[in-house]
Amino acid sequence: MKTFKALLIREYWEHRGAFLKTPLIIGAVFTVILLLGYLTTDRFDLKLNSGQAVEFGVKALENMDPAKIQAGIDIFMLSTESLYHFVLFIIIFFFLLGSLYDDRKDGSILFWKSLPVSDTQTVLSKLVTATVVAPLIFTAGLIVSHLVFFLLTSILLLLHGANPFTILWSNINYFTNWGAFLVGCLAQAVWALPVYGWLLFSSSFSKRRPFLLAVFAPMLAGFAWYWYNALVNLDVIRIGVFKTIGLLMAKGLQPFTSGLGFTVEEIDFDPSERTGMELIQSMLSGLTNPSVYYGLIFAVVAVALAIYVRRFRNAT
Amino acid sequence: MSHILSAQNVNKKYGNFQALKNVNIDISKGKIVGLIGPNGAGKTTLLKSVLGLDSCDGELKVLGIDPYKKRADLMKEICFIADVAVLPKWIKVSQLLQFTEQTHPNFDVEQAKYFLTKTKIKMNHKVKELSKGMTAQLHLALVMSIDAKLLVLDEPTLGLDILFRKQFYDNLLNDYFDNERTIIITTHQVEEIEHILTDVVFIREGEIVLNANMDELTNSYFEVMVNQDHYEEAMKHKPLTMRKVFGKYIMLFHSHSRDVIETLGEVQRPSVSDLFVALMQEEEQA
Repeated sequence: MKTFKALLIREYWEHRGAFLKTPLIIGAVFTVILLLGYLTTDRFDLKLNSGQAVEFGVKALENMDPAKIQAGIDIFMLSTESLYHFVLFIIIFFFLLGSLYDDRKDGSILFWKSLPVSDTQTVLSKLVTATVVAPLIFTAGLIVSHLVFFLLTSILLLLHGANPFTILWSNINYFTNWGAFLVGCLAQAVWALPVYGWLLFSSSFSKRRPFLLAVFAPMLAGFAWYWYNALVNLDVIRIGVFKTIGLLMAKGLQPFTSGLGFTVEEIDFDPSERTGMELIQSMLSGLTNPSVYYGLIFAVVAVALAIYVRRFRNAT
Repeated sequence: MSHILSAQNVNKKYGNFQALKNVNIDISKGKIVGLIGPNGAGKTTLLKSVLGLDSCDGELKVLGIDPYKKRADLMKEICFIADVAVLPKWIKVSQLLQFTEQTHPNFDVEQAKYFLTKTKIKMNHKVKELSKGMTAQLHLALVMSIDAKLLVLDEPTLGLDILFRKQFYDNLLNDYFDNERTIIITTHQVEEIEHILTDVVFIREGEIVLNANMDELTNSYFEVMVNQDHYEEAMKHKPLTMRKVFGKYIMLFHSHSRDVIETLGEVQRPSVSDLFVALMQEEEQA
């Protein structure tokens, strides 16, 4: 247990830039956009209306129905979370692709293997980093970013004599909106588990370019399956393997997409259509889909193979 | 458990290439063994099997453990430096110590810190900021702070300058080695380590061609400076090698007694590298 914890901390040390700085940088970017947007509006307003429009705007906010403000904040929070999921998946993708390859490339695997740590522990520590550690760090980064954004908004409201507590802070659905991100991370990890397993296997197995193996081998399988059906079964619209890969990638990139079905039509997500609570429910019920269990079986096999290969492949 | 390492009929094939052929070797406690062979002879293949980094056929036990099946268990008792500069580049010295302490039950972090105080390495340095020599010092400090029964060094000083190389072996001998420990070293710079070895093993094309302790070697191989006068007679004793220096012949003999050899000229102990060259040539002719 102590060893496993040390392995997770080790991953954090190596990838702190990607796991911790990325969410904070995205947060900083949209905070800066808010500030620039405000300054531009303010200046235009001063020039054209001698500052009245902003005054009216703030007055209108004070008199607005809280339900509408809540809905607006929900849309902001859920759509930024959706962006965070997207970025998180990309980061995990490349983290896993390098996780069992980079140390073979620079030879440091020989140092890691000189410690009493089994290959099973090593590979599982990478998987847990991808499914638990990185999402939790991202969640913390997201919350900090949201809070900074809201603080800045509060200051702007105060500058115009409005009360940020009644307008802003009391209208934030903290629990369901941040909960939706956390559950989204869970849905992302579960749906993308076969993808993660495949990436670990590619990273462990590949001698030169894990990316090529990870991306082109499934494509090749997809093409082979398509042409087999087209030529042998005369079925030209069957796209089986591609569809599966596409859906898994879509779920990985966008866990907020409806978790209920497993069809292409249901993978769009519109934050104005659903509240955080509805999202949480649909994602959780989506996890009972039998496709999830087939994916799980694939993931177990792929991770087992990654461990098997890791035992004797020490170089590139 | 009488032997630290015991190998019986160990074979390893890569495709059609036989990297190890029927290797039989026993190494007992308290030895410093030099594993010497030309490039591609199978030194690294043998060590990989010993360290559990690759599978092999035959019976191989290190401290009574099958290395490939139970590498993680074995690594509690042995440690190795496989090459210089294999420490991860991104890690900080302090993190390296912390990680090793958390994962290794026999690692003494205070000891490692003490060794590091004698170098220029600081705790907040990253490995990539260290020179090659300092990286080797760091790795050695780490390894010397592990209470291991067997230490395996595979070309530990490759690419280091002579000052670092000398210091490396001095530290190893003075601060680490005692009769409870065993060390296996491979290196191309044989002359630098031959004074610390207790045993030598020559390996060639996957086979062990010589496995002897240093005393045996000095009692059966002799280097003699032969004058022109004794040349004819010396040739009768079939020297393994001969080279001419300043009008004298330096010949290497394999003999069971010193008596006859002494009559030919001045007798010296041959260096391991000369012996190595002689035996390799002999094998080639045979």
